[in-house]
Amino acid sequence: MTHSAPPTPATEPAHHRKPKSGYKSRNWLHRFDNKRVPYLMISPFFLLFALFGLFPIVFNGIVAMRNWRLDDPALDGWAGFANFERLLHDEDFWNALVNTFGIFVLSTVPQLLIALMVANLLNRRLRANSFWRVGVLLPYVTPVVASTLVFAIIFARDNGMANWLLSLVGFGQDAPLDWRAYKWSSWIAIATMVNWKWIGYNALLYLSAMQSIPKDVYEAAAVDGAGPWRQLWRITVPMIQPVLIFTVVLSTIGGLQLFNEPMLFEENPAAASGGSDHQWQTIAQLIYKVGWKDLNLGYAAAMSWALFLIILIVAALNAVATNRLGGGRR
Amino acid sequence: MERFAKRGVALVAAGLAGTLALAGCSGESLEGGGDKAAQGQTTLTVNFWGDMGLDALKAAYEKDHPNVKIVLNSGEYNAQHEDLQKKLVAGTGAPDISAVDEGFMVQFRGQADKFVNLLDKGAASYEAKYLPWKWAQSKSADGASQIGLGTDVGGLAMCYRSDLFKKAGLPTERDAVSALWPTWDEFIATGTKYTKATGKKFVDSGTNLFNPVLAQQPVGFYDTSEQLQMEGGPKVAFDVSMKAIDAGISANLASFQPNWDQGFKKDQFAVLACPAWMLGHIQETAPDQKGKWDIAAIPGGGGNWGGSWWTIPKQGKNVDEAYKFVEWMIQPAQQIEVFKTVGNLPSQPALYKDPAVLDYKKEFMSNAPTGQIYAATAEALKPQYLGKKNGPTRVEVENVITRVQQGSLKSSAAWPEAVKAAEKAANS
Repeated sequence: MTHSAPPTPATEPAHHRKPKSGYKSRNWLHRFDNKRVPYLMISPFFLLFALFGLFPIVFNGIVAMRNWRLDDPALDGWAGFANFERLLHDEDFWNALVNTFGIFVLSTVPQLLIALMVANLLNRRLRANSFWRVGVLLPYVTPVVASTLVFAIIFARDNGMANWLLSLVGFGQDAPLDWRAYKWSSWIAIATMVNWKWIGYNALLYLSAMQSIPKDVYEAAAVDGAGPWRQLWRITVPMIQPVLIFTVVLSTIGGLQLFNEPMLFEENPAAASGGSDHQWQTIAQLIYKVGWKDLNLGYAAAMSWALFLIILIVAALNAVATNRLGGGRR
Repeated sequence: MERFAKRGVALVAAGLAGTLALAGCSGESLEGGGDKAAQGQTTLTVNFWGDMGLDALKAAYEKDHPNVKIVLNSGEYNAQHEDLQKKLVAGTGAPDISAVDEGFMVQFRGQADKFVNLLDKGAASYEAKYLPWKWAQSKSADGASQIGLGTDVGGLAMCYRSDLFKKAGLPTERDAVSALWPTWDEFIATGTKYTKATGKKFVDSGTNLFNPVLAQQPVGFYDTSEQLQMEGGPKVAFDVSMKAIDAGISANLASFQPNWDQGFKKDQFAVLACPAWMLGHIQETAPDQKGKWDIAAIPGGGGNWGGSWWTIPKQGKNVDEAYKFVEWMIQPAQQIEVFKTVGNLPSQPALYKDPAVLDYKKEFMSNAPTGQIYAATAEALKPQYLGKKNGPTRVEVENVITRVQQGSLKSSAAWPEAVKAAEKAANS
């Protein structure tokens, strides 16, 4: 590759030029400069990643293979795959998996679709452009603890705002809906919190990608008689496809690790049980409960490894699916 | 010349700054009070939950011990215990002194090697002063190590709103109220009458009936060999709770949660099972209901619910200072002070005979003689063994009760679910 070749001596500053006797050492320095220094420059990230990213993952894998109970320090040693085997028969785990995927679908799909619409609107000529653009990011800036506490009040059984709205259209006037009592209602409540927080964030990502699409493509399409809806699906979506895949992968990871919202939706957050019948207990919550309430760290580590694998698989599947959806250009 | 002059100015300035710094230092050490400050200030962090009446104690102790600074750190009940557990595992970060409740004591005394053995510090001399079971509960299994000094015990009584009782046409005087409900069945019957008369709910939550009834049973969730015993005590308690929910007298509020606190203010219930430490909570949650609350006997007699110890994690740097403070806190004068401010009943029976306790009347609770009421239940109390998994098991069974209250589970089908949930917790 020509552009990564070492610079020619002519471009070097004059004082680097030395008599021929020093050429060899200079050459060494020069090669070091070109071959090693880039690695040195990017190494801090990888060192930090190894320390705070890779090491915990590997160590977690080791813990997952061991017995480690805080309330029974005498019980330690190699457990082999016993923790993973237990996982397969643990109905709590499967229940949490179903919950996680249910909430994930309820939050990710509307979230990305609405974000796309919002971005499309923001991409037009609007008055007070930056006001709207900054505005959609506000939910993202709000601390999740604060916003979730507000939502917990909205979805309260007695005197909750959601129930008040429902009563306006004639639902549940005598017996208000207990949002925490059922799977479907608790999932909707939690997905609403997630959607509210992330729609603006994704919309801005889409917007930035949309702005790089040349205007004449739209003009040509308009001349050919394509309406705004058709333009969105036939031009915009395929053209911002890399960003689409990025957001899908990102929200897959976020959605499957969902913790804060379900945790704070609980009446007693410290219980981490995800409702009286684990209606909305997510895997991340279950890991917390197994580790710090049941004090079974080995089993909790096995669960987090399983979650890690599930996320890898789902993220890959989603990326492939999104790629297909956008016409399979990549 | 000019350059030299500048340098001179800089030198003088540096010297001045140095002198000032020195003066500052010496000034500070003089302020601190001579020798003690030279030894350095000791900061003791104390972790607990709710209100344990420590604010006044802290001020008094700091006044007498100018070299000690005490930092009070109150948090949520479960979170504080879990935090302590994490810090013990991590080997660092634990507070100098940590309160531990009876629900978690079995878990922590199993890790006695991570706590200071108070017997080494001379705590053996206090053994005779404590209720024998209270002393034994915080001892390690081999008996060689004592990890906690008792603060309070629960005892049980029933708090009631005399103003709401009056509106419902029920007696309001505490002996007459006690006579209404010698048994839990009669208690539920009274509740039904109240609900019929007022259209309001009688008790706060089914779980707050389950817990005191369970505390009255000779055996709780686990026997001393750590075997789950659901058919004994838990079944009795569960049935009472189901019966109350079916009778429609429960407001179905999750206790210690925001809705529950709202329930106090909105008069959503008229009675509340009241261990001694609950008095502090009522006072804190509904300060304007002063004089509207009173205390009657609980159906079914004695029983213990709650009660804590002070422990000193070994990893602390100020272990000796911490022990001195704990030792001071459990002296009669301080125990009585705590009893008067928040209502926590001491765990040293000699104090139950002390006029300061015996004659004490709690103004907030319509001048109820809290000393007499709780001392009597505490002395009559047969302690229950709480297994290692008591905490998580209780949470699981409470969840089943909540499902019945939410209407997603029928009370007739609830018991097998409770057994299943408890077994899961026992094997977790």
